[in-house]
Amino acid sequence: MKRLLTFLLTMALAAGAVGSNSQAASSRTANMNADTNSVLLPNRSPLISFRILFMTGAAADPQGKEGLASLTAAMLAEGGSRTRTYAEITDAMYPMATGFGWQVDKEMTVFSGTTHADNLEKYYGLIREMLLDPGFREDDFQRLKEEEINYLKNSLRGGNDEELGKEVLYTMIYPADHPYGHQNVGAVSALEKMTVKDVRDFYQANYTRANLVMGLAGGYPADFPKRVDTDFAKLPAGTTDSSTVKLVQPKLEPGLKIKLVQRETRSTAVSLGFPIDVTRAAKDWPALAVVASYFGQHRSSNSYLYQRLREARGLNYGDYAYIEYFPRGMYQFQPDPNLGRRLQIFQIWIRPVEPQNGHFVLRAALYEYDKLIREGMSKEAFESTREFLSKYVNVLTSTQDAQLGYALDSRYYKLNDFPTYMREQLAKLTLEDVNRAIKQYLKSDAMRIAIVTKDAAGLRDAILSNKVSPMTYNAPKPKDITDEDKLIEAYKIVVKPADISVVSVDKVFQ
Amino acid sequence: MKLLILASLILALPLFALAQKPRKAFAYDYTIDDLPNGLRLITVPTDYPNLVALYIVVQTGSRNEIEKGKSGYAHLFEHLMFRGSERFTAKQRDDILKKAGADSNAYTTDDRTVYHEVFSKDDLDKILALEGDRFQRLKYEPDAYKTETNAVLGEFNKNSADPEEKAYEVLRATAYKSHTYSHTTMGFIEDIQDMPNQFDYSWQFYSRYYRPEYTTIVVVGDAKRADVLAMVKKYFGDWKRGSYAPEIPAETEQTEAREQHVDWPSETLPILYVAFRGPAYSDDKKDKAALDLLAPIAFGDNSDLYQNLVLKEQKVDSLSFIFEDRADPELFLVAAKVKDAKDMDYVKQQILATYSRFTKEPVSKAKLDSTRSRMRYAFALGLNSSEAIAGALASYIALRRSPDTIEKLFSVYDSITPEDIRQAAAKYFVEKHRSIVTLTTKKEVAK
Repeated sequence: MKRLLTFLLTMALAAGAVGSNSQAASSRTANMNADTNSVLLPNRSPLISFRILFMTGAAADPQGKEGLASLTAAMLAEGGSRTRTYAEITDAMYPMATGFGWQVDKEMTVFSGTTHADNLEKYYGLIREMLLDPGFREDDFQRLKEEEINYLKNSLRGGNDEELGKEVLYTMIYPADHPYGHQNVGAVSALEKMTVKDVRDFYQANYTRANLVMGLAGGYPADFPKRVDTDFAKLPAGTTDSSTVKLVQPKLEPGLKIKLVQRETRSTAVSLGFPIDVTRAAKDWPALAVVASYFGQHRSSNSYLYQRLREARGLNYGDYAYIEYFPRGMYQFQPDPNLGRRLQIFQIWIRPVEPQNGHFVLRAALYEYDKLIREGMSKEAFESTREFLSKYVNVLTSTQDAQLGYALDSRYYKLNDFPTYMREQLAKLTLEDVNRAIKQYLKSDAMRIAIVTKDAAGLRDAILSNKVSPMTYNAPKPKDITDEDKLIEAYKIVVKPADISVVSVDKVFQ
Repeated sequence: MKLLILASLILALPLFALAQKPRKAFAYDYTIDDLPNGLRLITVPTDYPNLVALYIVVQTGSRNEIEKGKSGYAHLFEHLMFRGSERFTAKQRDDILKKAGADSNAYTTDDRTVYHEVFSKDDLDKILALEGDRFQRLKYEPDAYKTETNAVLGEFNKNSADPEEKAYEVLRATAYKSHTYSHTTMGFIEDIQDMPNQFDYSWQFYSRYYRPEYTTIVVVGDAKRADVLAMVKKYFGDWKRGSYAPEIPAETEQTEAREQHVDWPSETLPILYVAFRGPAYSDDKKDKAALDLLAPIAFGDNSDLYQNLVLKEQKVDSLSFIFEDRADPELFLVAAKVKDAKDMDYVKQQILATYSRFTKEPVSKAKLDSTRSRMRYAFALGLNSSEAIAGALASYIALRRSPDTIEKLFSVYDSITPEDIRQAAAKYFVEKHRSIVTLTTKKEVAK
C-alpha cells in the first residue's frame, strides 16, 4: 500500500508513458513467448481501468450454437473461477464497489472494470483468476443460460420495441448463414441445447494470446503491465488471429423489403437500413460521420430528422441516423466502445409513434432520406456539423474508461489517437467530399425496414395499397409543413407483396 | 510485445485528498456564491482539460404537481425549455450548442428538473447567455406547445412497452394516496392526454418554479470561479425572485397492507414489487442512512436472499432494490423478476421473511464495515469526469443546495451501528405500511 501511494505521489505527469514503455520492453525479455498486444494509458488518476479485449465474438459462434460467444463471456465474468464460487467473487468485490463487465459483439468481446488504486492488487487477483482459471460450473451455466434465453424471450421480445426493431433489421440484412446473421445473445433454440462442454471448447479455441489486446489506464504501478503480460502468457498462443476470417457484405436483392413484427403494444417502432462499405478505418468515414450527425445525431435535438419529425410535427420522442452499430441507444447518450466491426450498416431509427401515424412516419423517413440523397448537405450545415464533431470528440472521450475504449478501437481500425484523428480529418474535409460520400455510399436501392406494431396486417395492407395516410395535428401547422405533409402522405413506397412479411414476435430470435 | 503507448492524458484528480485518512467522500474544492435574488452558483474546478459541465438544478419535480389533473408538468417543462426564448429561437439555440460541440439534455425526477450540458470551455459565456434567457424569458406559442405535448406522449408510448414501467406506475398509485409521489414523473396518462388543452396552466407552472430561489447553477471542469461568477451575474443577476411555495400534501397514515395485480397483454416474466414506506433523505438523522446500509446487505447481489433465489435455487431472474434519496418519505422497494409464475408466492414469502429477519437480527459488524467501504468506493469510482461529478452533485443539490450534505451523510454512515439498522428496520418494515404489486402475462396470452 505504501509503495503504491509513493508511486502515485512522485509520478511525474506525462512521464508515466515513458516509464511504462521501458517496462514493456523488459517484459518481452522476461517472457519470450508472451506476445500480448496492449494499449496502455498511464496517468495519475487514483482510478485504474481495465479493458481486456479478445478479438472474438458472435461471428465465431459455430453453426447451430448461436449465442455461444456470449454465454462463454457471461460464464467468465458472471461465473466462478476454479478456486472460488461466483458468490465468493462478488463477496470479495463488494467492499471495493467493483464489478466486472462484459460485452460481446460480432468480432469483439471485452471485459471491463475500474478499481480504486487502493484495491488494485485484490481486484486484479480476482479478474485474473476469472479469465485465466475459470470454473465453468454447471450451476453457473444453467443460471446464465436461462438469463440469456430470458433476455431474448422477454426483455427483447416483450419489453423493448425499439431494440427489438433494430435487432430484427440486422437479421434482415445479414442472412442466417452469414457470420453476422444472428443476434449477439444468440437464438433461443440453440441456447437451449448448449452444454458446458461447448463453453469450454469455445474458450479453448478463442481465448488465446493471438486474440488478446490488454487495455490499461490510470495510475497503475510502472511494473504492472509487465506482470499482467506474464500472467496472460498462460493463455494458449492461438494459431490464427480471427481477424483474418473473411467477411463480406451480403449481396442484397435490390428493392425494399419490410418485416412487420406483430406485438401487443401501444405504439409503432420503425428501423430502416442497408449495408455500407465504410468502417471507421475507411478514408471516407469522417465524411459519412458528418452526414449521419447532420441527418440524425444520436439523442440530439440538433439534427435534421429530429427537427422535421419531432420538433416540427411532434410525431415521437426522437429520430436518429447511424453508420456504426449502436446497441442500447435508448439508455445512453454515447455509444459504448469496443463494438468494432468490419461490416457496418447505415441505419435510421424512428422512435415509437402512435399506431395511426405509422404509415405516415414510414413515408416521412423515406421521403427525408431520399431528399438527403438528392440534395446532399448545404455549406452551412456542413460547417456547423463539422465544428460540432470536432469538439464533440472531447465529450465522447471524457472519461478514462472511454479513452481506453476508443484507443483499443483505434488500434483495431489502424488509426492514430481517435480525437486527434477526427480533428485532423474533419479539418481537411470539404463539402464536396461529404456530398460525394452521400452519393457513393448511401444508396436506397436495397433498403430493409423492420417495424414493430400491433396491427401488422393492417399496416401491411396500407403500405401495399399505397393509400394516402394524411396526418392530423392537435394544433395548426405552418404552411411549409402542411405542404410537405401533402407530399409525404402520398409518397409512394414501392414494395412487392412478397417482400413485405408479417411475423409474430414469439418467432423472432427463436 | 506489440505495444501501443498513447500520450498520457493528465487527469490530476484530487488524488492527495483521496489518499489521506480520514478521507472526504467528496474530495473536490468548491465555492458557493449566493446572488441577492436567491440564485446559487456552485463552482468546482477540476483538472480534466478542455471541457466544462454545466448543470442547472431546479428544485421542482413531479412532487410539486399538487393540482388534480396536472401531473407530468415538471417533465413537460423539461421539454418546453427547448422551444426557444425571447433572444434566442430554438434554431439559434441549437446552432450555438452545435458549434460548441455540446452534449445537451435535461431530465426530471420526483424532486428535481436538471438541465445539463457539457461542452468546450471557451463556449461557457455563450451558453450561460442562452441559459439565462430561457430561465427568465422562455417563449413558446400555443401551436409549438401542442406539438411538444405530443412528443411527451411519444415518450410515454416508448416507455409503455416495458412491463416494469407499468408495475412501478401501479406501485406508486397504490402506496401513495394523498402525496404527489402517487404519480410517476411522466404523470398519469389521462393528464398527459389533456396537456394540449392546458397552455395557460403551463405558464403558471413556469412562473411559479422557474425562479432563482428554486435554482442552483453547478459548473464543474476547466473553469475559474471568478470568471464563472461574473458571467452568472451578467446573465442571471436581474432574474426576479418569486413568491410561490407549494403545499405538498402529507401522505395519510396507511392502516393496512395493500396489494395490486396487473395483467400484462404480452409475454413477460412475472414481476413482483414488495415495498414499505421508508423515511425521507436526511444528512443528520440515522433512519435513512441505516436503511441505505441495510439495502445491499439484505437485498443486494451479495445478500443471502440473492444467493438463494438467483444463484442457488435459480427461481428468480433478477432481484434488486430501489431506495432513492427523496425530499419526502420514499418507498423502500424490492423488485424481483420471477422465472415461473408458480413460484411467485414462494418468492414473495422469501422477500417478506428477509424484511422481517432484519427487524430482529442485527447485521454483523464486519458486513456493516464492508458495506460502508463499498459506499465510499462506489461514490469515488463514480466521479470519473467533470460531467460525472456535476451529475453526482445534482441530486444532493436538489435536496440541500450544497455539496457539504455529502460529507454529513457519509459521517452519519460512519456512525451507524448494527443495532441502529435493526431499529430502523423494525420501525419501517411493518405490515400495515406495506404495498405489493404483481404483474403477470394475461391468461389468454400465456403459454
